[in-house]
Parts: sequence; C-alpha cells; structure tokens
Amino acid sequence: MLVGNPIAFGVLSVAAVASALGVVLFRNAVYCMLSLILNLLMLALFFLMLEAEFVATIQVLIYAGAVMVLFLFVVTMLAPDASSTEGRDRLRWQIGPALGLAIILAGSLIVAILNGAVASDARKSGAGSLFTQVQANGDTQAFGQALFHGFSFPFEATSLLLLVAVLGAVVLGRRLASRD
Amino acid sequence: MPLSAYLIVSALLFAIGALGVLIRRNPLVMFMSIELMLNAVNLSFMTFARFLNSVDGWMFVFLVLTVAAAEVVVGLAIIVSIFRTRRTINVDELNSLKG
Repeated sequence: MLVGNPIAFGVLSVAAVASALGVVLFRNAVYCMLSLILNLLMLALFFLMLEAEFVATIQVLIYAGAVMVLFLFVVTMLAPDASSTEGRDRLRWQIGPALGLAIILAGSLIVAILNGAVASDARKSGAGSLFTQVQANGDTQAFGQALFHGFSFPFEATSLLLLVAVLGAVVLGRRLASRD
Repeated sequence: MPLSAYLIVSALLFAIGALGVLIRRNPLVMFMSIELMLNAVNLSFMTFARFLNSVDGWMFVFLVLTVAAAEVVVGLAIIVSIFRTRRTINVDELNSLKG
C-alpha cells in the first residue's frame, strides 16, 4: 500500500529532518524555538498527507499555536542568560559519545523497521476498523465518535491530568511570588 | 510512499531529539528536544492509523498532545522558579536538591 506523493514526501521529510537538526544545533534558544515550530508545521503537513485533516488542524492550532507561544514567552524571558551560560560547557567530552549513541539508536530503529518486525507486530494487534466511518461521515465525526465511545475513559483521565497541571502551575507560581 | 518510509522519518526525528537531550546544557532546549521526540512518535501513530485502517492512532496522538501541553506548563513553571532562585538555568550547575 502506497500513501502520498513521493515528491511531496521527499521535500517534507528533508524539511522535517533539517528543522529538527536546527533545534539541536542552533546556539540561540529563540532560533531553536522557531525551528521547532517549523518542524511541527511539517508534521502537520505529514498528517494531511496521511488523510487526517482534523488532527493536522489541532496540531497547528494547539501545538504550533498555543503551546509554542507559551514556550516562546519563557524562552525570550530567560534566553539572554541561557545563551551566555551555554558557552562555557564543562562536559564537552559528552558530545562524542552522545553522537555515537544517537547514531546507534537511529540505526537500530531503522533496521527494526526495514526487517518488517514493527509492522507485523502492529498488524497482529488487530486494531479496530473504525476507519469505514471516515469514508462515510468525514474524519471529524469519526474522531469524535471514537473519542466519546471507545476512548471515553482516557478522555476523562485527560481532564484530571489538565486539572493537576493547572494546580501545579498555580502552586509553583505562587511560591515564587512570596519568595521575591 | 510505503509504511517504512514514514517510520524511517519518524525514527530519524526521534534520534535527533534524543541527541538534543544528551548534548544541550540549556533545559529549555532539552525540553524542545523532548517535544521533538513526542512528535516523532505522533508521526508513527498517524502512519499506523492510516496503514491499519483504524482511528485508534488518532486518539493516541490526541492524548500525547494533551500530555505534552501539561508537561510544558509544569516544566516551564519549574524552570522559571529555578531561574528566580539560582539566577542560572545551566543544568550542570544545578547540583543541589535544597533550594
């Protein structure tokens, strides 16, 4: 089974890997941030190529929009000091072993993928076939039906998680105000 | 494009994210690298959803998105409060548990 235009796939994958390298290699944290936003937009385009319009939309709106704006606020607040401390790195020898480990990780993952072990394990899991609804009703309706029927417990657990995150942010912010 | 092509892009993005966590000393950039790894996994979820004709992968991407948002909120609050007390956020200098 083949999905997506090969030329579009090639351009997107080169752009995604290049922007990911930008996140790791730029010295200035703000450039890293902008590179990460570019990478998230490339992934949204990948999702469009995989025929999931609704997920691509929430990727752009929530991830590249809301979460990254919050991130950019903190980065611009702390970045001047951050980039000055980055210069004197006391553990420079770590870069070589880290590069070696990353290459080993990428290589072993790619070997596992090309052996076909990953794909055959996934097929054995017998995933549900809600996808027929996508053809009938469109992907937003299929998403909603899957979320509120099959995945209603994880959805409720998510609301608890968000509540805990809000409380955590409030507590951390409050303690900091009283100490100043 | 076949399934394995998408998965290889996802594996490369994940390895680059892991490299970023290992070599950067700025916790903000380490955070960005963690986001990179989360998104690499999202890409393979979406790929399997498409190739196995199932929307289960979309649900997992939605949950990962929520967890990532919560993680960013709490993590950035911790980084800001460390910066307020220690005046530095270099992870090599953060070696005491007592604030």
